Amino acid sequence: MRDRPTVRVAWLATALLLALATVALSLAVGTRQVPLSAVLDALVHGGGSRDALVVRSLRLPRTEVGLAAGAALGLSGAALQAVTRNPLADPGILGLSQGAAAGVVFAIAGGLANGFGGYVWYAFTGAVVAAFLVYAVASRGRGGASPVKLALAGTALSAMVAGATTVVLTSSSATLDQFRFWQVGALSGRDAGTVGRMLPFLAAGTLLVLVCARGLDALALGDDTARALGHRVQLVRGGAALGATVLTAAAVAAAGPIAFIGLAVPHLARRLVGGGHRWALPLSALLGAALLLAADVAGRVVRAPAEVPAGVMTALVGVPVLVVLVRRKAVAV
Amino acid sequence: MTTAPRERPRDPDQARNPDHARYPDSAGLVAIRRGSLSLLLHRRSAAVVAVLVVLLAGVMLLAACVGQTYVPPGEVWRVLRGHPGPYDLVVGELRVPRIVLGALVGAALGMSGALVQTVTRNPLASPDVIGVGHGAAAATVLALATGTVASPGALPAVSVAGGLAAAALVYVLAWRHGMQPSRFVLTGVGIGVALSAVVQLYLTESELAAAEQVKLWLTGSLNGRGWDQAVPLTWVLLLTLPALVWASRALRPLGLDPDTAAALGVRVHRTQLALTVLGVILAATATGAAGPIGFIALTAPQLSRRLTRSPQLPLTTSALTGALILVTADLTARTLMPPLEIPVGALTALVGGPYLLWLLTAPKS
Repeated sequence: MRDRPTVRVAWLATALLLALATVALSLAVGTRQVPLSAVLDALVHGGGSRDALVVRSLRLPRTEVGLAAGAALGLSGAALQAVTRNPLADPGILGLSQGAAAGVVFAIAGGLANGFGGYVWYAFTGAVVAAFLVYAVASRGRGGASPVKLALAGTALSAMVAGATTVVLTSSSATLDQFRFWQVGALSGRDAGTVGRMLPFLAAGTLLVLVCARGLDALALGDDTARALGHRVQLVRGGAALGATVLTAAAVAAAGPIAFIGLAVPHLARRLVGGGHRWALPLSALLGAALLLAADVAGRVVRAPAEVPAGVMTALVGVPVLVVLVRRKAVAV
Repeated sequence: MTTAPRERPRDPDQARNPDHARYPDSAGLVAIRRGSLSLLLHRRSAAVVAVLVVLLAGVMLLAACVGQTYVPPGEVWRVLRGHPGPYDLVVGELRVPRIVLGALVGAALGMSGALVQTVTRNPLASPDVIGVGHGAAAATVLALATGTVASPGALPAVSVAGGLAAAALVYVLAWRHGMQPSRFVLTGVGIGVALSAVVQLYLTESELAAAEQVKLWLTGSLNGRGWDQAVPLTWVLLLTLPALVWASRALRPLGLDPDTAAALGVRVHRTQLALTVLGVILAATATGAAGPIGFIALTAPQLSRRLTRSPQLPLTTSALTGALILVTADLTARTLMPPLEIPVGALTALVGGPYLLWLLTAPKS
């Protein structure tokens, strides 16, 4: 049933429509409601009306960030779960989130950067460095970078980096004061160029992960079987992990460490179209984007005029859904 | 077609030892029997336990000597024997309670990690994964935010209740015609994320001073803690001791796949539930005593398994490893940047992490 091409195409199309619908909502909904016709008008013709300004200078960048970060997190989560063969794997597992956080703390404490726009490169660099360290550690010793070793090395390094940042945060209240707003993960306050700066990385990461899709299918059968099928296990694992690293680093740099999407979305995607990665990966990307944007829109509405950060909303909206799915055996675990 | 000759046990000892049938890979296991009682010893584990005990005693003694003022070991010994002396306050009232509490919290966390990881069959699982730490944190933050807790002394009780409630919620939500480890873990992570979102929200909405206070509690610390926290934890450990002795054997078959365990006559679901409850109680009490100190429950069992090379996660070694990591981390936290105290939760990973990484990368000896 799940493996029929028509069913898969139908789910992909549905997810695409869902993502487009959340984009429309994200442009139209907020403390200032803008009719969809006016949104379209503002995007196509520009213009100087207040509505047009709100849409183009505030909501468009925000929507771009949500779309890019959500898709990147969904995609990289699916890839990392396959690489580590662990249903608990999420973009935090290779030390990515903690590495990014360390980069941001370093930037704030050193007085090197201010505001979300300034953190981007520090977060990106921190995430990439952390992931490379984890991979280097895990590939030493017996058996190379086996799934369990990757997961444990990632967890250990994450915890160590988190410890170091906590030392700074508990001894410098000025740093904590700025950091807590980044740490929660949000789409607001990002400037227009954020996604543009990350675009090459997003493209490269997406390409890498998708190229490895068939190899990831084979990895699910175990390393020996994958080798017997003619796949180069370490190459597939390394390639997919690298792609996921770049994607996550870009997403975290743009939107902060938004939890949960990378963990839960792949489970949902596999449930809908089966475990084949050529289908599950694109679907994870679309669902991730839709979920993050929907959470962001909900966060604007729930306590208007105040906002609830998207990072909080993804959890509060997504968790009940996940629990229901898991209970209905609807999640492929 | 010849019928195979019935295999005769070559070793008379094997014939009498049913454990050989149950665990064919029982190299290095020694069974000690007295009538109907028996104890199974793993030779290498026994050696590791002995080494860890010596190390732990050494670090605890060192921690009693070192600090703002150096106290010679002889003076520490005098205080411990109860003879009055000049160092009664600094050693007897301040350092010893804190060191003992550190060892107890570390041991409780290490054991609870071993229990939960065995039940969930996942090396990344820890009591935090099934909601204990996040539940304790969310309950504490809510209590602080709403001002329902009049005195700070009531906070530990609140956090224990929060941890137990969260874990119970996860268990109920994940239970459906039995307990599937992966479903349990996924539900736990989900609930944990939701609870930590609540905490994050509080951190961004509160005044900076309040946020700092919460952040400090969330990191976990032994600073200014002592007998008041150590006594309840000791009671919990003593009361759970019979259960823990049972658990150290009940863990074994759960390391196999559930069907095999069931075929061996293990009541899998019941054992899983009992071990989970035990692990959650230990983790929740430890969190109540010192805040949600991370990393120990996660890694002590993995470290122990690699040290002892035993097929399952060893309970005693996990307890000792956990205690050793925490006491060492707290000693570092006190003495690294005096007079500034680093919260110990920030250092457990910095102390234990490199060791785990080294074990992961060590070539086969």
